[in-house]
Amino acid sequence: MKKNFKTWFSEVPATPGLLTCGVRRPNGKCAGYGDDRIYPAEKIEKLLQQFADLNAPLDAAELAPRWSTWAFEYGLLRFVQRPDKWLLMLLVSPETEAAHKLDQLSEEFLAGPVK
Amino acid sequence: MSKEIKIEPALHVLIVDDDRDDLAMVVNAFRSLSEGHWQVHTATGMGEALQHIKPGKIQLLVLAVNSPVSDVSLWLSSLGQPPTHLKRVVMAATPTAENRAASLAAGADLFIEKPVSPEGLKVVFVDLSKLTGWALPPSVLSGSPGVSVADLIQMECLARNSSILELFHEQSLGRIYIEEGQLIHAVCGELAGERALNKLFTLTGTFELHDFEPPPERTLNRTWEVLLGEATRQRDSLNARTPSGSAAASDAEALATNPAGQAAEMLICSGTGEVLYHWQCPTVAARLTLLQAVLVRAEKLIPEIQLGKLDRLEIQLTAGRAVLQPRADRLIFVRLGSEKP
Repeated sequence: MKKNFKTWFSEVPATPGLLTCGVRRPNGKCAGYGDDRIYPAEKIEKLLQQFADLNAPLDAAELAPRWSTWAFEYGLLRFVQRPDKWLLMLLVSPETEAAHKLDQLSEEFLAGPVK
Repeated sequence: MSKEIKIEPALHVLIVDDDRDDLAMVVNAFRSLSEGHWQVHTATGMGEALQHIKPGKIQLLVLAVNSPVSDVSLWLSSLGQPPTHLKRVVMAATPTAENRAASLAAGADLFIEKPVSPEGLKVVFVDLSKLTGWALPPSVLSGSPGVSVADLIQMECLARNSSILELFHEQSLGRIYIEEGQLIHAVCGELAGERALNKLFTLTGTFELHDFEPPPERTLNRTWEVLLGEATRQRDSLNARTPSGSAAASDAEALATNPAGQAAEMLICSGTGEVLYHWQCPTVAARLTLLQAVLVRAEKLIPEIQLGKLDRLEIQLTAGRAVLQPRADRLIFVRLGSEKP
């Protein structure tokens, strides 16, 4: 990631088809972008926490995800966790530019320094 | 054997194929074989396909998969909640046990090999007609060689039919009993049960579908999906080791060049957590706990994000990926890729 994280993260919501995105820092603090009426900060935090709670059963199953995608009927929810415990969440509509760019955004998040 | 098949006045079929030459060939064949009864629509991508499906007229979707690495489950999930009358069929240019399992798990009603000859197109046309219960024109009914045992079992089970499938090669080789869409008995010479079923899958010959009669005994207890998956896996494994098994050899070659597409383990449990089938799972209990945890999380996530039901969770691993389908009545875990996650 050549840009700093803040710049990169602030540009993510501009991707057509992205409904909301959020990030959870190792200290538990969360930040997000999206339509506040549909996805307020509390909801984003809750979603990130739901995924973070899966770490224990994932560890027990000896699975180390690079990322995971929850495929719902009308949307895809992607979580990407870095080894340093930063966690990214992307919620996108299927068959959109954002859906097609999920892997690229995930790779960028995994590759970049977070500052 | 004769089964009554209803006649529909206008049958709307959508063929999705990014290979325009193949698309034209399939469309022409289906129009000709149906003697004009099928109204065939076309699309070269899922975006275009969705535009056709939205109005609700399409009754049968045939999705051609030309690359063994295509993510069929993602394509199927892009349909969202399909109308209940829409049958979904995956037609793979390179069929493998793995993409068959992935397609069926993602909601496909039928998984078939993409035809490459006029005779193959006719076989597929018959398969699709049987799946949908649409009438076959007399010219097609006169003969339909080439339909595989697996395809026919799949069609009978999906339709919840009761019938007896008898395999011949000069003489009767064996029988498979299907009752209300479940395999209940198989016999092949001295063999019975799963060993007989697996043996029948490796044999070549013709087969006939008879009206159902109660079998002398019941030797099959697992669900038809599991039995079919296991028999197909064993047959493919056997063919891959046989130099003359050219079709399976090409599958094996495809898998060798595409390790990410190779099934490494599988677990199928009932909704209550009873293990129905597992294959090469290093930690069944941990996988089951994970499936149940995902199911619980999904129930919490669904009202939060309001994007409908969870179809599956895909986990991208360093080597390969895992696909989890946690449903109230069935918990499925499949890992694709290298031996170790």
